[in-house]
Formats: sequence, structure tokens, C-alpha cells
Amino acid sequence: MQLTSALPIAKMVGSNRVVLGTGIVHVAGDANLPPDEEKALRRKLVEEALDSLRAEEGGAG
Amino acid sequence: MNLTLAYHPVEALRFDASTRLDGTTLDIDVDDLRGLLLEDEAFEDIAFEFVAPDEDCRAGPVFDIIEPRAKAASSSPDFPGILGPPLTAGMGTTHVLSGMAVTVLDEHAAGGSRGSIGRVLEMTGPAAEGSCYSKLHHLVVIPRMAPGRDGPAAQRAKRVAGLKAAVHLARAVASDAPGESRTFEPVDPGPPGRPGLPRVAYVGQIFSRQRRAELDEPVLYGHNTTGMLPVLLHPDEWLDGGVVTSYYTSMGGAETYLYQNHPIITELYRRHHAGELNFVGTVASIAGSDNTDRDRNCHAAAALVQWALKADAAVLTKYGGGVPHADLAETARLLETAGIRTSVMVSDVSRDRRVESALLFNFPELNAIVYGGGNDTRWQVPPAGRVIAATPAVGELLAGVRELGAMNVAGVTNQQGASRLRAVVY
Amino acid sequence: MRIVHYLNQFFGGIGGEEQAGSPLQEVEGAVGPGRLLEQTFGEGAAVVKTLVCGDNHAVEHQEELTAAVLEHVRGAEADLFVAGPCFDAGRYGMAAGALCSAVQTELGIPAVTAMHEENPGVDLHREGLYIVNSGKNAARMKEVVGRMAGLARKLAAGEAVGLPEEEGYLTRGLIRDRFVGKSSAERLVDMVLAKVQEQPFDTEMPVTSFQPVAKPRGVDDISKAKVMLITDGGLVPKGNPDNIEGMAATRWGAYDISGDDDLAGEDYEISHGGYDPRFVQADPDRLVPLDALRQLEKEGAVGEIHGEFLSTSGLSNPLSNTRRLGREMAEKVKREGVDAVILTST
Repeated sequence: MQLTSALPIAKMVGSNRVVLGTGIVHVAGDANLPPDEEKALRRKLVEEALDSLRAEEGGAG
Repeated sequence: MNLTLAYHPVEALRFDASTRLDGTTLDIDVDDLRGLLLEDEAFEDIAFEFVAPDEDCRAGPVFDIIEPRAKAASSSPDFPGILGPPLTAGMGTTHVLSGMAVTVLDEHAAGGSRGSIGRVLEMTGPAAEGSCYSKLHHLVVIPRMAPGRDGPAAQRAKRVAGLKAAVHLARAVASDAPGESRTFEPVDPGPPGRPGLPRVAYVGQIFSRQRRAELDEPVLYGHNTTGMLPVLLHPDEWLDGGVVTSYYTSMGGAETYLYQNHPIITELYRRHHAGELNFVGTVASIAGSDNTDRDRNCHAAAALVQWALKADAAVLTKYGGGVPHADLAETARLLETAGIRTSVMVSDVSRDRRVESALLFNFPELNAIVYGGGNDTRWQVPPAGRVIAATPAVGELLAGVRELGAMNVAGVTNQQGASRLRAVVY
Repeated sequence: MRIVHYLNQFFGGIGGEEQAGSPLQEVEGAVGPGRLLEQTFGEGAAVVKTLVCGDNHAVEHQEELTAAVLEHVRGAEADLFVAGPCFDAGRYGMAAGALCSAVQTELGIPAVTAMHEENPGVDLHREGLYIVNSGKNAARMKEVVGRMAGLARKLAAGEAVGLPEEEGYLTRGLIRDRFVGKSSAERLVDMVLAKVQEQPFDTEMPVTSFQPVAKPRGVDDISKAKVMLITDGGLVPKGNPDNIEGMAATRWGAYDISGDDDLAGEDYEISHGGYDPRFVQADPDRLVPLDALRQLEKEGAVGEIHGEFLSTSGLSNPLSNTRRLGREMAEKVKREGVDAVILTST
């Protein structure tokens, strides 16, 4: 899966599993948040990333 | 809005005890100018050099190039938001010292992707032929920053110094009769005065959020663009100091001079005057930092073109590096979907010179693409007769350059539409 | 100029499809289209040797044929190799393309061929060769041979070759710079005016199309999966030990994170000139989210994190590079039993 903030480019090259990141300069974080909130945000993004990697219902993938 | 540009042609620069235009020779009191610029304590010192068109000379790295201009009394402010209050630019008369520029150097090349020499001002030889800047007289401003003044503080100081110098020089002719004046035919999105002609808008990116703007980095009326949504600008606001370049221009290059003489806006004006189209206005936009940002900007820009400008067609340009192509393409796609025909200008991203690597978007409706070249144009250059740089080390580096790439010469590649270097498919 | 000319059995005068199995034959002087070629070149050029081979034989014995043709071309001290024109004959086109490519790369001798644009030989060889657009059949033989001769002359003399529409060859899919009379601003306005007025216009770049990538089956049980982190954001250990270039990178690296719970800015730097690196420099987990993934590993939500993360720099990088980088990384991923990858892009 690809975690990116440049969705159109990921789509163009044919990435199948894309999760939107939180910005080009910090795709898995947000420098504007306090550290604990940023960590929580990152965990959420990684969980979404892992979710996107799971075999779909029915398993056809 | 009805901007008048009063041109005062300059054909020579001369050191003198006062700053004034004598015929077409601009006398410059550099001590006076230095005193003015050194009011900013960010500088330890500032030196000046004159460079003539076609002179055997190389200067760099270039921080910015500015055309000397000053507003006549009771017009809008000079560089509003930076040198004056952020009032609407483009009102009244602006005096222009045409045929010359103020060229501000960096102490060293900004970090990034263009190698250690950055972009240079090349005045002679094959590399100079493709640049509009080699035909100008330059007052080169060479800053030496005070200890501890680096990073954004130094960039801010250099930006302001260049603009101040440009205004200061042009003030000297503010009460002289110009050689020639040009008043732009009114342009607005009102009812089409000339039915049957296509209504054409310009959508230009002025910043890319691949970088976070410095807090006091002036781009649009002194604002650093953070949080901005696309905004309608009258074409004259671009030409008259409402927009200056960011500290980093990245791929392709952009200089304040080419906002003041914006190649696309002046071309649209020319065609408007020639009765080929109705120029209805412009939108200034930025490339987003993430997808939400991108969608918001692209939709807002497209909506302005569709609903406020009621355009039939639009031309679009990008700013910055690779990712802004996505913002450019998405805006154009939205316009096409709304029935507004587009053409887009992109910079050369194909480093293996394959067509398949050339574009960062693939919407079939984006089938009118102007493609700037640059990646495989290099010149063997002889040692420059005269080298101007802020430090001996950089001077040595520039003197030793034997090969120059198109991307490293100011004006040869350009994101504002000035370049005559294109990529052709074979 | 000494020319060696390759023909199939039909144009070489051996026979039709019944002779498609005939092996390579060598004939002194020009045969069939070769005579026209010689005439077109005029004084000072001669087809010194014609090589004729059946279409089936050529396809079935390509390596052997290539070696033999290279030998003949070398032996003939040729200045130029010409194959065809092949028109829409697919086997002929594939053989001609392969032979021209081999002569050009192995011997450094210029080579020219001609085909119909839908000939399968075109897609295989168009990038490396000048293939004259021949049309479907021999109706335009004289014109096609004339174009081949014109191109060949320029190649042999080392002169610049013009654009496809000027010289009559099929687009190679490459680009090069050229100074033009009009600024990009003028061209941009020209183009939009033509488009909005429904007049013809030529884009300066055709729209790229990408082959769809098959979506592999997902992971059945993430809590047992081995997950790897990869980034194209240019994160490398201090000192950039693999010298990964900050632009158009040709290299990638694998960096040990097996003992780490998160990544510290002082251990890393960013080799990527395309984005503002200060935020990732301050905390590399903002690019390579090890801290969060490690926590999930400890909680049992993920099976295992691979002991290394992979990194390269995705700035201004051509596909010819990135395909290889991707392939090399994928080989490592497969070899080391990784079930899932989180690839972070700036």
C-alpha cells in the first residue's frame, strides 16, 4: 500500500491501495499538533494502512 | 483599474554623485543607495557592480531580478504589502526604467536540486542567447550578511533590498517625461464588449506547499500564502508589484522581473488589443500540501474561472517542482468538465528523455500541453572574462564552470512563460 | 559508402510463404529494393552485400541469425546497414528491428529500416531505431526508400536528424530540447485559442498512459504478517552511506531498525531536494512511521516488522530508473518473506 499526499500521482501510476497522508512535508505526522496528538494521528494512519492491506471480504483481493 | 506604464529607456549605467537619468544613461549614486539599503541591520555591507548587455560576464547565484519601477504620486503603493500598505496594485501610473534590471545575488546557492552554482546570470555566449536577461543592463546587488543573519532573515532582507533598490532608482525619473507610455485597455469579466470572441482567463500558481512558507516570506501583497485560497487578481496587479517570487523557485525558475513583465499576461493583453480574444481576468493559486488542500484549491480556482470570470477558455501555469503538476492538472480537468477549454504549461521532468516520463498527469481532456525543455541542453562555456559573486569561493566556482545546463541559467528556463526552449518528441 | 542490405525471402526473390523456412543466404551486390536504394544514393554508395532469410527461419533462429548477420556486416566493412522496407509483414519487421538494433549497438554502424506503424517490430524497436514509416504495402516503395536513404545519409555523416514529421520516421518516444521562435506564453495562448475555436492544434507532449497494475490479494491475517516500511522520501542514516542522490536517484538503501522503537532526527538526514525537509528531520517517524508500527507490533496487531526499512529518493526520477529500483526492492521483499509493505511517499 502507499501512504501519500499526492493522490493524483499515485492514481496515475496505478497504485491499488492508497491511504491519504497528512501533507507532503510530513506524510505521517503533523508538526502543528502537540506530540501526543501527533502520535495518535500517526497510529491512526498506520492502522488505516494496515487495514488497506487486509484481504477483502470474500478474499478475491 | 487602468494602469499606465511610463517607460524611460536606459542604455547605459554610470557611477555618479547623484541618481538621475541623463538622456538614456542612468547615473547612480551608489553610496546613497548603499546607505539606504544598509538601514537594514541584517546586512554587514553591500557592493554594487554594473553589467552591460552581451558583456563577457557571469554573475550568480541569482536571488532575484527586478525591473526598476516607481509609482507616480497619488497612485497605488510600490510593492504593496512589502514596501507599502497592502492596497490594490495596478492603479495610476508606474515609471519604468526599461532595458535594465536590479539583480540581487545570493551569498551561496540555496540548497536543493540545481547543483552548487544555482542559477546564474550569463551575459554572453550560447547560454545567454536564450535568456531575456542577457539583453539588459544590470545593477548587480551583492549582499554581505551580518554575522548570524542567515536563513529566512537573510532571505527577507535580500528580498526587501532588491525591491527597495528597484524603486529607489525609478524614483529618479518619476517627474521626467517618459519616452513612451502604455495604458492597458480595460480588462474585466463584465459583459463581453466583443461578442463572438472567446473569453480567456489565466490561472497561475504562485507558490507550492512542498515547502512551508517562511512566516515573513512575501509572495502576494506581502502575504506568505499560507492558508490562502485561490484569489481573483486583475492582470495589472501581477504587473504592478502585487506578486513577487517565493524565496525558492525550484524547477524552471521564476523571477519578479517576469511578474512585472508577465509573458502570459502581456501576451493575453496583446491578443485582447488585437481583437483575437476577450481577456477576462486571472486567478492566483497555490499548489497544495495534501489532498484536501489540493482539492479545495483546485475546486475554488475552477469555480472562480467558471462563475466569476465566466470564461470560455483558460491557460494554466504551475510553480515549484513535480507535485504542483497534479494541482495544475486537477484544476484544468475541473475546467474541462465545466466546458471550459484549457491549455497548460509544464516543466521538464523527463530526465531519461522518454515521453513516458514526461508528464505527472494523464487526463485525456488535457490534450493541449506546452512543454518546456531544459534537461538535455548544456553548453560548453569558455572561462568568463568577469565573474561577480558574493564570496571569493563562489566566484572561483563560477569562474571554473566549463559546462552550463539550461536549468542553471536565469531566463533560459522559466515557469512564467518566457522560455523559448521547448521539448520536442521524436 | 558500403551498404549491407537485409531482405526476407519474398523481397529477396527466393519465393513466397513456401520459402519462409529458408536459411540465411548471402548475395553479392543489390537485390530488388536494394537496387532502388543504390539508385537513390547515387554515386559513391553501393550495396556490397544482400542477406536474404526466410521469415520463419529468422524468427525461429533469431540468435543464430543475429550472430551471422553481425559477422557478415563486419566482414563487409559496411558503413551502413539497411533492412527492409518490411511494410506490415510482422515476422520480417521483428527480424529487421532486431538486426538493426544489434548492428547499431554491437558494431556502432548506423542502421535504418522501414515498417508500417502497426508492425509488431515497431513496438519492440522504435525507441532505439529510426524506422521509416512505410505504409502497409509496397505502393510507396520509391518514396519510402528515398526517406531511408535520406536518413541513412545523415546518420552515416553524424548529422542531426530532424523530427519524425520532417524525416518520415516513426516517433521513437523520446524527447529533446529545441529553441523555437515563440515563447511558451505565446504557444500556450495559441493552443487554447485553437482549442476553444475547434481549430486543429498540436500538443507538445502526448498524454502518457500507464499499464494497469494487477492488485495482489490482501493479507489474510495482519497479526501474523511480516510488514516492511519503504519510503521514497529520501530518509538515510547520517552521512548517507549509500550516496543516494537527492534527485533522479539511481540507488536505494536498506537500513537497520531492528532494535529501534522510533527514529531519532540526529541519526538521519534527508536526501531529497523536492520538499521542505525540516519536519522530517525533526522527527523521521513523520516519514517512516516506525514508532506507531512498533507499538502495534508490541500489541500483537502486526506480526513482525522487517528489521530494515528501504529508502530511496523519488524526485524527478525517470521511469527507466524507478522501474529498476522498484524491481530490485521487490526482489528483496519477496526473498525475505515480507507479506505487506507500507510505502510512504512525499
